Amino acid sequence: MSDLLTILVVGLLLGGIYGLVSMGLNVIFGVVRIVNFAQGELVMLGMYGAYLSWHLLGIDPYFSLIIVVPALFVLGMILQRFILQPLQNEPFMQIFATFGLLMLFQNLVLAITGGAGYSVPSDVARQVIRLGDINISLPRLIVLIAVVAVAVGVNWFVNNTMPGKAVRAVTQDRRSARLMGINVEWAFMLTFGAGAALAGLAGVLLAPIYTLSPQIGGNFILAAFAVVVLGGLGSVWGAFFGGFIIGFVEAFAGYYFDPALKHAIWFLIFIAVLIVRPGGLFGIAGAEEMGLREQD
Amino acid sequence: MTIMTRRTLTGALASLTILVAGGATAQETFKVGAINPYSGPLALYGEETTRGYELGADAVNADGGILGKTVEILRGNAGNPQEGIAAVEQLAGRDNVDAFIGTYLSSVAGAASETALNYNKVYWDTNALATVLTERGLPNFIRSGPYALDFADASVEIVLNSLAGKLGKKPSELTVWLEHEESVYGTSIAERQKEQFEEAGVTVLGVGSHSFKSIDLTDTVLRAKSAGPDIFIETGYVPDGNLILRTMRNQDFAPKVTLFVGTGDTGETLEAMGNDGVEGLFVVSYPRPEISDEYGPGSDAYLEAYRTKYGKDPIAPQSMAAFVGFKIMADAINRAGSADPAAVAEALKTIDTPLGTYETGFGAQFDENKQNLRAHPAVIQWQDGVQMTVYPEAAAGGNKMVGFDN
Repeated sequence: MSDLLTILVVGLLLGGIYGLVSMGLNVIFGVVRIVNFAQGELVMLGMYGAYLSWHLLGIDPYFSLIIVVPALFVLGMILQRFILQPLQNEPFMQIFATFGLLMLFQNLVLAITGGAGYSVPSDVARQVIRLGDINISLPRLIVLIAVVAVAVGVNWFVNNTMPGKAVRAVTQDRRSARLMGINVEWAFMLTFGAGAALAGLAGVLLAPIYTLSPQIGGNFILAAFAVVVLGGLGSVWGAFFGGFIIGFVEAFAGYYFDPALKHAIWFLIFIAVLIVRPGGLFGIAGAEEMGLREQD
Repeated sequence: MTIMTRRTLTGALASLTILVAGGATAQETFKVGAINPYSGPLALYGEETTRGYELGADAVNADGGILGKTVEILRGNAGNPQEGIAAVEQLAGRDNVDAFIGTYLSSVAGAASETALNYNKVYWDTNALATVLTERGLPNFIRSGPYALDFADASVEIVLNSLAGKLGKKPSELTVWLEHEESVYGTSIAERQKEQFEEAGVTVLGVGSHSFKSIDLTDTVLRAKSAGPDIFIETGYVPDGNLILRTMRNQDFAPKVTLFVGTGDTGETLEAMGNDGVEGLFVVSYPRPEISDEYGPGSDAYLEAYRTKYGKDPIAPQSMAAFVGFKIMADAINRAGSADPAAVAEALKTIDTPLGTYETGFGAQFDENKQNLRAHPAVIQWQDGVQMTVYPEAAAGGNKMVGFDN
């Protein structure tokens, strides 16, 4: 019984990590309709941002949020404005462009670090909350709290604020939104900025858990794509619940079957969902086609 | 037309001058192509390994060089097999190197040595670990360093000969858990460990595998924890090793002995875990320059030479094995009287130096696949944030293991 509870907690915490990494990816896909292959690298940049803040300024990685998240927001806006916007009518080219960014960021960090694995020291990272037989690592709990806050916050933002409503309008129909006086390009820049900022948030919160390497983004992104497709393309709640589904499947399969098989098992579920509900569990039917549909 | 002819003539003369000059240089220097990753994620270790060759070249040059010529190292950057092939082709075709040496990466060693064979050049390996490399029986491939199974054997040996006693148990009363990363590297080592442990009567409670890119290894750690082994043995890379150590701490999994194979003995692990996080951890790795000078004669001098040339301590122990390998290569080619692979292979048969000849404690005797049989890893234990060589005892030079009652 205590094993079962432990695995439930492990799955929940892991789901939080997957959800947080996937959230930015899904926000960008939902609005800008770009599959951002460089999302994992943005998470990686967030991690190195936390490291740099500690290394140069001596601040705890958790406080580096106030620097890293805005910095990535600005970076995201710049990427959208100067790289993706000029390719607005070429969806395939946009995908290639994000792939180019992936290579650029990875190799840039590689060139600077020389490939050494860095760790971000944080006292918080070593804290463990013990509830009976269950051990909860504090940094993972913080990730879980963050993903809940982000899901609720993003949902509130798009439903209750004017910029949020503008973003929703753009999502539903770019041309009509433009006719209503909404600046579509600005909405896209804000959204890509927000997606990058979410990646930065994920990076900072994950930095104390892992050993940093320039390729670490890739370890997250495969799972994030699965989460996004499973949960629902373009749906915030899809990424949220999708993350937990993958987290639970991985924890249970890894513990009760074989850790070597866990990825095979969650990809099986992933394929099954794709066959039954191509739009994902929480996605709007037909969303999977939207990315390539003429919109302007 | 006249102009063209003149230009052509001038060009030809220039080429001729270069050729003559090139020819003259080739007579004075013995060029060795060093195949390693100098860019990319493993650049740090490629660079470290090649520093061993550079120090080796210094030592060999001070001793008369190879075939009476001054040794010159030319770098060939290779982070994957394709780059390995390209680097060898460039160094053999353009720079006309006399022999190749490498390699931090086994996959690169495999491809690069086959290409070197096309040019009829020796490929001398000091650091690649994959078993298959020597099993291929390639006529030009020679390995002077320990390989994967030596690492597996060293981990089993320290458990049976030393740790079991420290735990006050006979091998038949001992339980172990074998964890490994899932590629052929980790798998081949774990299979060998399992076979040898079972032969010695040790109970292997389980064998677990994981990807070194894993985001979460809690399941892996919990499986091992619920089995409750005396000794937890892990073979992997740096990121997964660090994640396992972190997860073990979070999940209060503290077996009496934790033994890592291959990685875990560098600053990358210390930085991730802190002094208390690595305290007592055993790591099977290349012999370090700090080993006793009796076990590895000249290891102190090597460390001094390294510090003088590079202004700091070695970041990983690979470089000393590379250094020793370079010296054995020079010896073999000098004995052969030429760098021709067949002649060098023949000369290998005459090499028979006992253990404890070189700085790493290696000796040299090669089997029919040209694998050095007298190259063994050593084991360190982290004590107060420092890697202390504790096994073999001769290498430890008085260092004691900590964390045991007896």
